[in-house]
Amino acid sequence: MTEDALWYEAALVVGITNALNVVADALAPTGAPVADLPTGDAGAVLDEIRAFYARDDVPTAYRVLAGDPAYLADVWAAARQAFTDHRLTRRMKEALAFSISVTTRSVWGSRFHLGEMRRLGVGPRGVMEILGVTQMFSSYTKIADTLQLDPDMVGLGPVDCTPAPGGQR
Amino acid sequence: MPTVRLRDAAEYPEPARKLFDLAKAWFAYDFNEPAAMSRVMAWDPEFGGPHGRAMKRAMGAGEFTRAEKEMVAAVVSGVNACGY
Repeated sequence: MTEDALWYEAALVVGITNALNVVADALAPTGAPVADLPTGDAGAVLDEIRAFYARDDVPTAYRVLAGDPAYLADVWAAARQAFTDHRLTRRMKEALAFSISVTTRSVWGSRFHLGEMRRLGVGPRGVMEILGVTQMFSSYTKIADTLQLDPDMVGLGPVDCTPAPGGQR
Repeated sequence: MPTVRLRDAAEYPEPARKLFDLAKAWFAYDFNEPAAMSRVMAWDPEFGGPHGRAMKRAMGAGEFTRAEKEMVAAVVSGVNACGY
């Protein structure tokens, strides 16, 4: 995991996962009115979403954005790019998203990304592994913060001097 | 700056220092002094011992590699806004 490209990808997964979770968690339980799902050209985005997740319905995080099809299309494009196999596999990205969702207490995200992990072949042991890492580092981080420990593992890894890929893979 | 004085390895009793050897082997890196978290964990070996074992069990290679798990750990730490 020494290449920066891997960490850029991970960071984008963290960001878009949190973005989807906060909206889904906030709005789904309220029963807030959601606009009718768009049809026609705008509906093609929904078909892409269904196909990407291999399901018949549109996940809540996207459904709640349906009132503005152009906005939905851009959010979806960013999410699709973040979760597509690149240097990190989609399976790994779903594991990251699951750990983020658990850490941020996102009920919607935890359920959704657990489902995606399983769909992508992660077994019960693998799920437990991600839960264990998430739990252990939720402990270490709070101990470190409570004692205000200074980082002592900075600069142990090599510096990646490759140029910016500019989205090229 | 830490809210406690982190003791040098030499200030710990011998049984606690065994945790430093385990941590050194785990990180495969020769720190001048054991990592701060290792020294915190060695403060109470009855906590640090099982906590460390749970961590190693969680971080060991399984369906996910240790490297992949280190990335998960880094992400969890980042989301928790932990600079350590």
